[in-house]
Amino acid sequence: MLATVAKQLRSHPALIPLFLFIGGGATMSVMYLARLALKNPECSWDRKNNPEPWNNIEPNHQYKLFKVNMDYSKLKKDRPDF
Amino acid sequence: MAEDIQSKLDKYRTAPFDARFPNQNQTRNCWQNYLDYHRCQKALETKGVDVAPCDYYKRVYKSLCPLAWIEKWDGQRDDGTFPGKI
Repeated sequence: MLATVAKQLRSHPALIPLFLFIGGGATMSVMYLARLALKNPECSWDRKNNPEPWNNIEPNHQYKLFKVNMDYSKLKKDRPDF
Repeated sequence: MAEDIQSKLDKYRTAPFDARFPNQNQTRNCWQNYLDYHRCQKALETKGVDVAPCDYYKRVYKSLCPLAWIEKWDGQRDDGTFPGKI
């Protein structure tokens, strides 16, 4: 099937940018989903060793992309330990 | 440290900002504080230490959680069907 596609591309080289852009877009979506799955503190993969990953982030960790009226550097841990 | 907790409890007005839960949906914040209160109690009781610091979590979950949820979870804990790990 790839051979067919390659043959057709050779006769219509103007289609190459199409493949590039579609491929790039698909890659970017998949990479974003992978980043969300692996680096998001709300997603718990390993229920035995890391059951609540949101508890492992710093008290001044900025979760949102943009912040308005919020000074994250001033936050400190205020919950008692146990 | 105990005086810190005591002064924090005296000055308590409402649940403070929690960087773990910055968005509008505070469900998990409520759940986590409920769990933390009972885990704290269990941990400090087995250690034999005064359980007063755990009251911070109790104040926070009382501020955040709907009463219906608290009553339901308390009932589940008494029955032994509570889904969370305490």
